[in-house]
Amino acid sequence: MALSDQSSEPADSGRKIVVDGVSKAYDSVQALSNVSLSVREGEFCCIVGPSGCGKTTLLRTIAGLEDADSGSILVDGDRVTDPGLDRGMVFQEYALFPWRTVRGNIRFGLDRPACECPDCEQRIRELLDLVGLSEFEDAYPKELSGGMKQRVGIARALAVDPEILLLDEPFGSVDARTRDRLHEELLDIWAETQQTVVFVTHDIDEAVKLADRIVVLDDDPGSVQSTVTVDVDRPRERTSQEFVDYVACIRAEFSHVTDTS
Amino acid sequence: MTTPTDTGSETLLETGVEWDMPRYLRGLGGLSIFLAVWWVGALTTQPSYLVPGPVDSARAFVELFTTSTRIVAPLAGLELVLPTGLAHLTQTLFHYIPGLLLGAVCGSSLGLTMGWHGVLDDWLRPLVRVLRPIPPLAWVVFAIVWFGIHHTGAAFIVFVGAFWINFYAAYGGVEGVSDELTDAASTLGVERDLSMLKLVALPSAAPQLLTGFRTSIGRCWMIVVGAELFGAPGVGYEIINAANNLAMETSVAYMFLISLAFLTMDVGFRLLERRALAWR
Repeated sequence: MALSDQSSEPADSGRKIVVDGVSKAYDSVQALSNVSLSVREGEFCCIVGPSGCGKTTLLRTIAGLEDADSGSILVDGDRVTDPGLDRGMVFQEYALFPWRTVRGNIRFGLDRPACECPDCEQRIRELLDLVGLSEFEDAYPKELSGGMKQRVGIARALAVDPEILLLDEPFGSVDARTRDRLHEELLDIWAETQQTVVFVTHDIDEAVKLADRIVVLDDDPGSVQSTVTVDVDRPRERTSQEFVDYVACIRAEFSHVTDTS
Repeated sequence: MTTPTDTGSETLLETGVEWDMPRYLRGLGGLSIFLAVWWVGALTTQPSYLVPGPVDSARAFVELFTTSTRIVAPLAGLELVLPTGLAHLTQTLFHYIPGLLLGAVCGSSLGLTMGWHGVLDDWLRPLVRVLRPIPPLAWVVFAIVWFGIHHTGAAFIVFVGAFWINFYAAYGGVEGVSDELTDAASTLGVERDLSMLKLVALPSAAPQLLTGFRTSIGRCWMIVVGAELFGAPGVGYEIINAANNLAMETSVAYMFLISLAFLTMDVGFRLLERRALAWR
């Protein structure tokens, strides 16, 4: 089992995202305390941890939606200060624009002047196909199921072709079967786009299913507990011995978290 | 925001649209009973001008459309000859429409800006608190000394009424814009405040804005009639004019005309609203 602590980050080249000593407090609550980690280019990285361990805050800081109190976030060596089109974000509660149709939502980022898109219509059609919503392009979000909404959320984030995809517990409110399907779809998309993915979840199974590497966050205050490289070929079977071992290993990290806090 | 819109017209509309038979019949029953009571009341009350009867009132209503009156359009100076009822309704609309539209545009613009901008909100909130409770009709004295009690003065009073209703609708609407949506928009490249207002805040606040406007349609009818009781030309003025001649049935006819005009606008706007907010 490839367990490593935070000091032995992958030192090889191609570090896409570097989180360097980031701390963040809300009023008196310390959400993140000196968090350091890095994500390689093209890597699928899951951040797991108990609720309230600051994993969403960490993701939002990478997105540029929150400012760190201290420390810094580098993407391709540049310091993150604001949100940018290089980092697409998928939200837990979808955050779709209810007044826009499926097509209109996907189009949102393409309408920005910052984005040069010579053939938007073609791009939108591809994305609708990619997430299997071609028949629903004119539907409003209220008419969609949770799983469909999140497909729109993903397509909307992908539309501007970001190099990094940030997902904040994206499948937390869909049923188990839909979630399995969405996992497959997300992995297919990732294989196709070669994006760097940071995926936040509290579900260990989900993390082992998806990730190249899992970062376990400690709570109170949020800091990196350990990093686990998942060395299993995809597609991964939940019932395989390897899978079960990884889940057990990370669960042990979790209970360590609970014991010490 | 609270919308003290008249639920009465809502029920009326629903009954008309759904053709729910038992409800329709009950509504008809209520109306018949009212007419009977009115009729009996009119027959048994002396002198007769105290309660003009339904038949006399209906006759007066018909008369509004069988006689004609010459009116002059403001600004253009154009002379129009129209059936009396329509002529006076047109006079009312000459100040009602500009007052309503200008008030709605100004009110919702200020509401949007204040709701969006914390600093401006800090500056203006106390002022708004003081000015807001003043009933629009209280401004009638200034309408008279500034503009004279004619079209402009009446339009000003309507403006004040429309302004505050739309102001609060827009203010509340923008305050209710979810952070999640603005976050999503900023990760999708919306940087400038103005773009955020246009692309996220405005569409997100559209339901409140439209409800606010619809509320002001009704409220401004009350205000406009009030303003005309002070002498501005229009249906409100005709109510008191007829009453001064003890032609109370003509007053009732004009009251009914106002009700019809309001209902038409309300139903029309509701249809527009439903189309514009199909996404809800």
